Amino acid sequence: MKKDTIESLVYLHTKELYNWAFYKTSRSDVAEDLVQETFLAATEKAESFKELSSPKTWLFSILNHKIIDFYRKKMNHTIRLDRKELATYFDDNMEWKKDKRPRDWTEDETHLLDNQNFQEILKKCLDHLPEKWNTCIKLKYLSEKNGKDICQEIGISTTNFWQIVHRAKLKLRDCIETNWLKK
Amino acid sequence: MQVLFLSCLRASELIEKDLHLRLGLLEQLQLKMHKTMCNTCNRYGKHSVLIENGIRDLQRKEAMSIDFEELEKRIILNLKKI
Repeated sequence: MKKDTIESLVYLHTKELYNWAFYKTSRSDVAEDLVQETFLAATEKAESFKELSSPKTWLFSILNHKIIDFYRKKMNHTIRLDRKELATYFDDNMEWKKDKRPRDWTEDETHLLDNQNFQEILKKCLDHLPEKWNTCIKLKYLSEKNGKDICQEIGISTTNFWQIVHRAKLKLRDCIETNWLKK
Repeated sequence: MQVLFLSCLRASELIEKDLHLRLGLLEQLQLKMHKTMCNTCNRYGKHSVLIENGIRDLQRKEAMSIDFEELEKRIILNLKKI
């Protein structure tokens, strides 16, 4: 395959490859990088391309390897959780601490998500999560996959996964509440 | 009876587990019991679902906001370098 053929593939398939990478990683910057790397790898490996498969299938298989590599590097198996952190929210009897009990956010929760301020707070609080937590929590929402598939993909146990989600949610919820009720 | 009672910590864990994986039969019962008695955890559960939906909306917006023409140009430019 020639180099200018690859260029024409960029115009043909960037969108689909990007959408797939975004769907898999939930991050636009990562998705862009992965697509970029896919085409670079394709150019380097152009000689080895066999006409047996379609260029599109070939590109997707390169991209899928890149996505798996991305998670392998990122997660390296178990994510350690410190039990002590739960003490921020719960007392010795494992009940909510008085000042950390979830409070009412609004009388009308159905319209909260349309509220610009609320969206901004949510985004800010998400960005403040530790990166691995952030990945775990975002993954589910976009791909609408179940937790079990996600765990397999990123190579962590299901218990580890929902414990991370739990910690992430406690922190996220607390951050939102503090900022939202301040207004 | 004792086996049916959960701490709030455990209840909030199960609320998350329920959203992402599957609860066992006993866990389902425990959580249901706890929620009928505990307003705070009930509210936690509602907030949790709300946050889920909020993140989903944000993600969709982010996915749609990309400029593909610009990305294609950038990729081509990088390909020319090798």
